[in-house]
Amino acid sequence: MPRYFFNVRHRPGPAGLAVDPEGEDCADLGAARENALSQARGMIARERHTFVRDWMECAFEIGDEAGELVLTVPFQDTVPDEDPG
Amino acid sequence: MPQPEQSSIRNHLLKALAPGDFALLQPHLQPVTTVLHQPLIEADVPIRQLYFPEVGFGSIVTHGADRKVEVGIVGREGLGGASPILLGTDRTPHEHFVQNAGMMLVIDTEALYAAVAESPRLHTLLLRSIQVQILQTAQTAFANASYTVDIRLARWLLMCHDRLDGDELLLTHEFLSMMLGVQRSSTTLAIQTLEGHRLIRARRGRITILDRAALVAVADDSYGLPEREFARLIKGA
Repeated sequence: MPRYFFNVRHRPGPAGLAVDPEGEDCADLGAARENALSQARGMIARERHTFVRDWMECAFEIGDEAGELVLTVPFQDTVPDEDPG
Repeated sequence: MPQPEQSSIRNHLLKALAPGDFALLQPHLQPVTTVLHQPLIEADVPIRQLYFPEVGFGSIVTHGADRKVEVGIVGREGLGGASPILLGTDRTPHEHFVQNAGMMLVIDTEALYAAVAESPRLHTLLLRSIQVQILQTAQTAFANASYTVDIRLARWLLMCHDRLDGDELLLTHEFLSMMLGVQRSSTTLAIQTLEGHRLIRARRGRITILDRAALVAVADDSYGLPEREFARLIKGA
């Protein structure tokens, strides 16, 4: 299984990215996205940080083993799209 | 290995015993080296041996449906297993394992029962150590209710530092998330916060305490209450 790194963007600039040095094995990028959304839900629901004012301004910047950014998952994506009908 | 002399003991509880009480336990103390993550007490299984940490420390965790969360740390200030055994039961739903490898002195449950039956003074001191353990768990509830994850991490690192030789802890973000009961990425964020303020240095798989005084300031009143009561009840005994 490929390993993905779940870096957390909490504000702009280099100091605004909490780098994940360990990563987690996920079946594919879709599974990595689900992992990010699941963690984001847990963090929004229960966890507070001194320097994070609004989870909805945060995003996961998922990297691959080569260190390339492969997917950005905004915490806002935990909110389901409004059902039009 | 021969039985240890009280003068060479590092466990604070054993050191605080009156010589006569130590003599009751001494023939039964068996030195055992420990390895990382070694089980010490299993959940819901009769406890045959208790442990006095000499070097390193243990972690107590509770099992949820799909995860474990730490509910206590037992280092040199304590006796692992004292709470179920001396409070009238032979087992606990919590699991104890080695969080920091080193050495401990183990004692058979029967030998401990015999010693406390002989010495009410020893019994009282061990009950006081259970009171300190209860206060520690209560303080964790207070910290979880009142403080952000980065401040809870500062407190947790101080509690480990108190029970550690040196300034370096070997652990992963995954493991830390179990200790703090938070998402793995919350640990990543909290580590970045403390490292950004130069309180710790984090490298893959290890955290080094750089500035203990500043960590104490950050931890605020989440840290210190059980530690003060330990000093009053055990060291001052």
